[in-house]
Amino acid sequence: MATARPGWSRRAQYGLFFSFLAVIAGIIVGLILLVVSLVAPKTFENIRGVALDVTGPVAAALHEVTATAEGLVTGADDYWDAASQNGQLKRERKAMLQRMIEAKAIVQENRELKAILDLRQHSRDTIATGRIVGSSFSSPRRYAIFSAGRGDGVKVGMPVRSADGLVGRIIDSGALASRVLLISDRASIVPSRLLRDGRPVIAQGRGDGTIDVRPLEVGRNPFRPNDIIITSGTGGLYPPLVPVAKIVKLNGDSAIAVPLADPANTSFAIVEAPYEPAAVAAETATATSDAP
Amino acid sequence: MVRAALSQNRKIGKGPVRFAEFVPSATVVAASLLAALPIVSTSGWFPNFGYLVLIGWRLLRADPWPAWWAAPLGFINDLFTGYPIGFSIALWSATMLALDLVDRRTMWRDYWIEWILAAVLIAIDEWLQWRIASAAGADVPFTMMLPPLVISIGAFPLSAWLVSRVDAWRLGR
Repeated sequence: MATARPGWSRRAQYGLFFSFLAVIAGIIVGLILLVVSLVAPKTFENIRGVALDVTGPVAAALHEVTATAEGLVTGADDYWDAASQNGQLKRERKAMLQRMIEAKAIVQENRELKAILDLRQHSRDTIATGRIVGSSFSSPRRYAIFSAGRGDGVKVGMPVRSADGLVGRIIDSGALASRVLLISDRASIVPSRLLRDGRPVIAQGRGDGTIDVRPLEVGRNPFRPNDIIITSGTGGLYPPLVPVAKIVKLNGDSAIAVPLADPANTSFAIVEAPYEPAAVAAETATATSDAP
Repeated sequence: MVRAALSQNRKIGKGPVRFAEFVPSATVVAASLLAALPIVSTSGWFPNFGYLVLIGWRLLRADPWPAWWAAPLGFINDLFTGYPIGFSIALWSATMLALDLVDRRTMWRDYWIEWILAAVLIAIDEWLQWRIASAAGADVPFTMMLPPLVISIGAFPLSAWLVSRVDAWRLGR
């Protein structure tokens, strides 16, 4: 196909013409598939799952290697300035112990109060435990690959969290691995609240690893740097009281925050069942009936 | 070609490796599979490896593979990188077609023209990714796409050099 006309051979000319047609067909097929995957993202669920199963275990195995290498570097770093660090950690531990006892007392009081109010206590079922082993490299979307799949009970739509905070939710699941939509993706919206005063806010990803936090009520910017955002449980997908992000910068009437669970440094993450499955099901039902 | 024939250290009796005609497409698949590397990127500034290698091959040779192979290669890229299925199929096929048209028009080629061509194609790729992300509900500002664009354009000579090394190896030069 390099030259316009490959000599006088009729056969070569036809070959050229048909390969031209095949490329046009490739473009058309690609465009049709693209439209289908944008309009009905669930169409290719199975085949995406198979691809995840191929790469997921490889990434998981290689992850051990990089984690060890990173561990050596950061491990060496810890010995630097160890004495003063030690003193600081001891002071912090002392303060922390006091806070912990307070917190335990509050939990107990809370439990008693809830018993009086006869509130239904949600059981937080851990569906699966795994590691974040990879991510989307070059895309405005922020996905991560999680090392547990349908075989472990992971289903599309389940929230993923780590010990540090909320990671995201499952959007593709294979038998052995699944894909997570991180909370820093633009399409991810987490109903949250400000830990300081419980004010309801919306946390939407910015696509570059940070999160845009906006208050629900219009008014003065309520944020301060270092404020912590936690989930509110509204909407029924994410469980309440999970740390989401820390405010780093004010930005007009909103603020920019960084996720507390850094997917690059998250060793283990757990998948939980949707907090209020009934609410999520009702919402998706209305969403699908709204769609044409 | 002439220069290769004139050079002194020609390895006599060394021909193309077995399956030499499948080596280019295999390297494109291998580049797509780099998405399985256990690196967690929170900013997404890595280049689109599969596409870089694809245009590297296509600019080096007019027929690294039959032109319609771009569609299945793109499908593999879509599967492993997590792009919406169909995106790379359409873009890669269109790239093959566009470069064939460019081949008819250009009178002469050098490294700069190839780099500029690659830069234009990479820019189209990034712009389309941005449009499709916003169609799928993730409308980020376009300024966010500029760092990966610059990095990809800067990475193209490296991938083109690697491709030319692989080409020399597969032909036994």
